Amino acid sequence: MSRTLSRRRLGGLLSHAYVWFCLLMFVLPFIALLNYSFTGPQGNYALENFKYVFGSFGSNLVWSFKISGLTLVLNLLVSLPAAYALVRYPFPGKRFLFSGLTLPLYVPGAVLGIALVLTYNFTYRLTTSMWGLVLAMTVGTFPLMLTPLVVALKDLPIVFEEAAQCLGATRWQAYWRVVFPLIGPGISAGLLLSFIIVFNEYLVTLFVHPTFITTAPLRVFGLVRTAGLLPTTAALAVTMQLISFVAVIAFFRIFGTRYLKGTYLI
Amino acid sequence: MSGEQIVVAQPATLAVRDVRRRERTARMTSLTLVLPAILLTLLFLYYPLVFIVRMSFTLADSFLSPAGPTFTLENYVVMTGRYLPNVLVTIKLAGLATLFDLVFGFPFAYILVRRVRYRDLVRGFMVFPMFGALYIAFGMRFILLPGGLATPLLKLLGAENAQVLYGLPSVVFAMSIFTFPFMVMNIGTALSNVDPTLEEAAACLGARPWQTIWRVLLPLTRAGIVAGSLMVFGWNIGAFAEPLLLGSIAEQRTLAWTLYQRGVVQTDYGLSTTMGVVLLSLAFTVTYFSLRYSRGALVE
Repeated sequence: MSRTLSRRRLGGLLSHAYVWFCLLMFVLPFIALLNYSFTGPQGNYALENFKYVFGSFGSNLVWSFKISGLTLVLNLLVSLPAAYALVRYPFPGKRFLFSGLTLPLYVPGAVLGIALVLTYNFTYRLTTSMWGLVLAMTVGTFPLMLTPLVVALKDLPIVFEEAAQCLGATRWQAYWRVVFPLIGPGISAGLLLSFIIVFNEYLVTLFVHPTFITTAPLRVFGLVRTAGLLPTTAALAVTMQLISFVAVIAFFRIFGTRYLKGTYLI
Repeated sequence: MSGEQIVVAQPATLAVRDVRRRERTARMTSLTLVLPAILLTLLFLYYPLVFIVRMSFTLADSFLSPAGPTFTLENYVVMTGRYLPNVLVTIKLAGLATLFDLVFGFPFAYILVRRVRYRDLVRGFMVFPMFGALYIAFGMRFILLPGGLATPLLKLLGAENAQVLYGLPSVVFAMSIFTFPFMVMNIGTALSNVDPTLEEAAACLGARPWQTIWRVLLPLTRAGIVAGSLMVFGWNIGAFAEPLLLGSIAEQRTLAWTLYQRGVVQTDYGLSTTMGVVLLSLAFTVTYFSLRYSRGALVE
């Protein structure tokens, strides 16, 4: 009796140890970067690297935020009406259309990059414009926005809109003053997912970025490739990850994880 | 008599016409609402993909020449000959990472679903790999560098002189960490739909733990395992930063990186797009099966 009990306890202990070991593995690369980012020029402890991040790398961070912001706005403008139509209207070949719209998620970044840079060069003449980059980010991430919106709209009973219209609201009023606030958590889930991807994207950016734009992840990539290992680069990478992490944690605190179900986060 | 008929027929046809008209307006409205999304994907995904498929049949950078493109099958011949190792190494790395994730991810998902109460904490930790393979590869480089965090551990194992940084294991390890959450997510969803009493029933009927796993849990979570593996494989097939930063020349031959080298650096557009097409068809094959296995028909 006591033997089986202790064996059971040992099993429980081992399984928790295993979980913690895996968790350590997840954060280990981050810890290593964090550790290295505090290394000064003489191998001492220093905060100077982070001053560097907001000085010399400041413009890269600003570009990252700018591109992410514009992409989020475009994502929202494209996904909101599409999700509404997909959920609320009868549609021939609805499933096929949804698959077709979410397919960009499954295209490898390098393929999307080469395809876009070639068409930008030969057809669209977008190589020297910021919008080329923004549109590339949008097409790659709007399915991440679309999916939580579809989930949120499906969860919302149609009676709310009908009640609003019975009470004299026009379609637009019903949409903006009833539906829009009620699917808020779904919208923010989509915003979070696309922000994290766009903010940290380096691969598609590497292909399609105009010469005057270098986003922060691309700068990290470039510096790791050409300048070797520098504490300042590590500091930039750490900053990027911390910003993303704060965004995720804030979202978890405010909305919980329900709306992230079925997406790549949880 | 005839007047009566008209009275009956008239409202009926009117109602049908009215319904039809309303249906047509609804269809127009819905189409207008989806149109931006359709246009975006058509212009910036499907057209570029068709473009590179067409370009993959042209010789080198002849697409640019004033004489017009030279169409040829040469690129595909080269792909199946000289560049076959690149395709194989891409598949090998993604396959090994998938296997690694499966072996370590299944117990993790099981413990997470059945035993762990601090799930939010685990979620918090699990988002770190999702910020991107670039940071993982960069961090792993520091860890594995001589004098890095891994050195004392290697000394302990008596393998201090082993070449760990530029080699296959470190690349596969970094790729596995990047995609581990996807595997756990898929298996975990499948596991949480399995009633725990089934395991108890198996134990009561005299099954050993491994028998319970093999004959009850694995068959019941097969859909999740297959979906997770395909998803992980699909993500890893386009690996770019990990082989480049952590691998030796052998691992750096992955398609994504070669494609970049050929296309952007050496402007051999024909060959580069051919690699893109090969990579794309690999990814789409995987996606097709993973969508068939995941029963998530979201919009119906």
